[in-house]
Amino acid sequence: MMENRSFDHMLGALKAQNADIDGLTGTETNPDITGAPVPVQELAEFQGQLDPDPDHHFPAVNLQIFNGGAAANMQGFVKSYFNQRRDVEHSKKIMYYFKPDDLPVLTTLATEFAVFNRWFSSIPGPTICNRAFAHYGTSFGKVAMDLLYVNEPFKSVYNRLIDANPKHTAKLFYYDQTSSTMEIVNLLQHQPELFGTYKEFLDACDKGKLPDYSFIEPNYNDHDGDDGEELASDQHPDHNIQAGESFIASIYQAIRKNDALWKSTALLIVYDEHGGIYDHVPPPACVPDGFVASANDTGIGTEFKFDRLGVRVPAILVSPWVPRGMVVKDRVFEHASIPATVTEHFLGTYDQRSPREKAAETFLDLLTSPVFRDDCPVFDFE
Amino acid sequence: MKIVKVPKPSSDSMNQKRAVSSLLKTQMLHLQEAEFRLPADYQTNIYINSIKTEGEAAEYIRLVTERIHEAHTARIRRARPKPKRERTFAIAAAAAKPPKKKAKKSAAKKKRQS
Repeated sequence: MMENRSFDHMLGALKAQNADIDGLTGTETNPDITGAPVPVQELAEFQGQLDPDPDHHFPAVNLQIFNGGAAANMQGFVKSYFNQRRDVEHSKKIMYYFKPDDLPVLTTLATEFAVFNRWFSSIPGPTICNRAFAHYGTSFGKVAMDLLYVNEPFKSVYNRLIDANPKHTAKLFYYDQTSSTMEIVNLLQHQPELFGTYKEFLDACDKGKLPDYSFIEPNYNDHDGDDGEELASDQHPDHNIQAGESFIASIYQAIRKNDALWKSTALLIVYDEHGGIYDHVPPPACVPDGFVASANDTGIGTEFKFDRLGVRVPAILVSPWVPRGMVVKDRVFEHASIPATVTEHFLGTYDQRSPREKAAETFLDLLTSPVFRDDCPVFDFE
Repeated sequence: MKIVKVPKPSSDSMNQKRAVSSLLKTQMLHLQEAEFRLPADYQTNIYINSIKTEGEAAEYIRLVTERIHEAHTARIRRARPKPKRERTFAIAAAAAKPPKKKAKKSAAKKKRQS
């Protein structure tokens, strides 16, 4: 799971190559603070452009989606970014998107395997609560960066698997100890049984010892490692986008080069939330989660019942059993789809889950290629 | 089969002096919460509000993650059942036991020999 980029920002340009991909036509606009329309532009850069980090906490995302009105029209992104630096010219950069050639890894995987037109972040808010949906199928009523406390009613997908059958294996792989994890509660309770490093992940791929389910976290900070400088690979603004491309490619290659593993593994690449960056698709309503965030917690003067999704993010399903160039249309996915899919696949019927997870779409039915594909791309690192 | 080149990020991308992002601040807060639950001798006593750069944050994150590992390992070591030591008089009694007598030949064996 990568960090903070919207679908249109990363993959929007692919619409020009394949009209089925719900990307950008180039005519989309947002008003700036003077009311003048600011168009989307193919000017995104690898680094140095989105500084300060665009706001993506609940009130800011509310402005981005609703622009102060009642209907979700995705017209408030420029205004929201303006609020941070009070600079009209700078606020326009929130509408920039990448040329496909700038992102050879992500766009190749999106066009060679399955790209989701409708994968939304679970909450119109920041990282931690969105990542919680990928681990627990809910954020237990949180809409911000609060620590998720223990003794909550639903188990993480890792504990579910292992508790149901000790033969099941599930792990979170963080990059290294200097990057660590965003799943601190789990780290404290289940270190080291549930945690490994990126090097251990590569080793497991090599030896064919990958757990039944693995969740891989990128490097969240620039630091000195044992092998020299380690660039942050999470793609969170203002970290280098190409470092994230390289990270994704290395995971793909690690699985791809082990024939047995490649035949039996599905890799989902997804972003936790949009990071305040423009996307043109209004997030839809969804099944309420059974939790309610108070008006005080949302910061917008009204409570939130977890009954609508956050902004759309890039999501790609990779497997030699996915037909080439698949575009997943008309079905809505969110991060609760991750534990829902894993639970359905390994455990079948499982009742102790959040209403959102129970209602979430699963995605293993997309592995529909009748024959094993031997035309899948390989990456060559410069 | 398509071969796709993966470009290297530019060499000046690294910036450990970058101001700490809100994400890293949150990660540090959560780690601080975690270290407060560790035994006192595993706590770093670092004042996280003094951390201003990404490099400093990385160092704090590494330290606490290591400490969580260490505390976990120590807890497992403590929880492992120790082998039972025999009581002194039992050891002394064992030492005082007479040597085993040689087994008598069985009646069947005696018959065969005669």
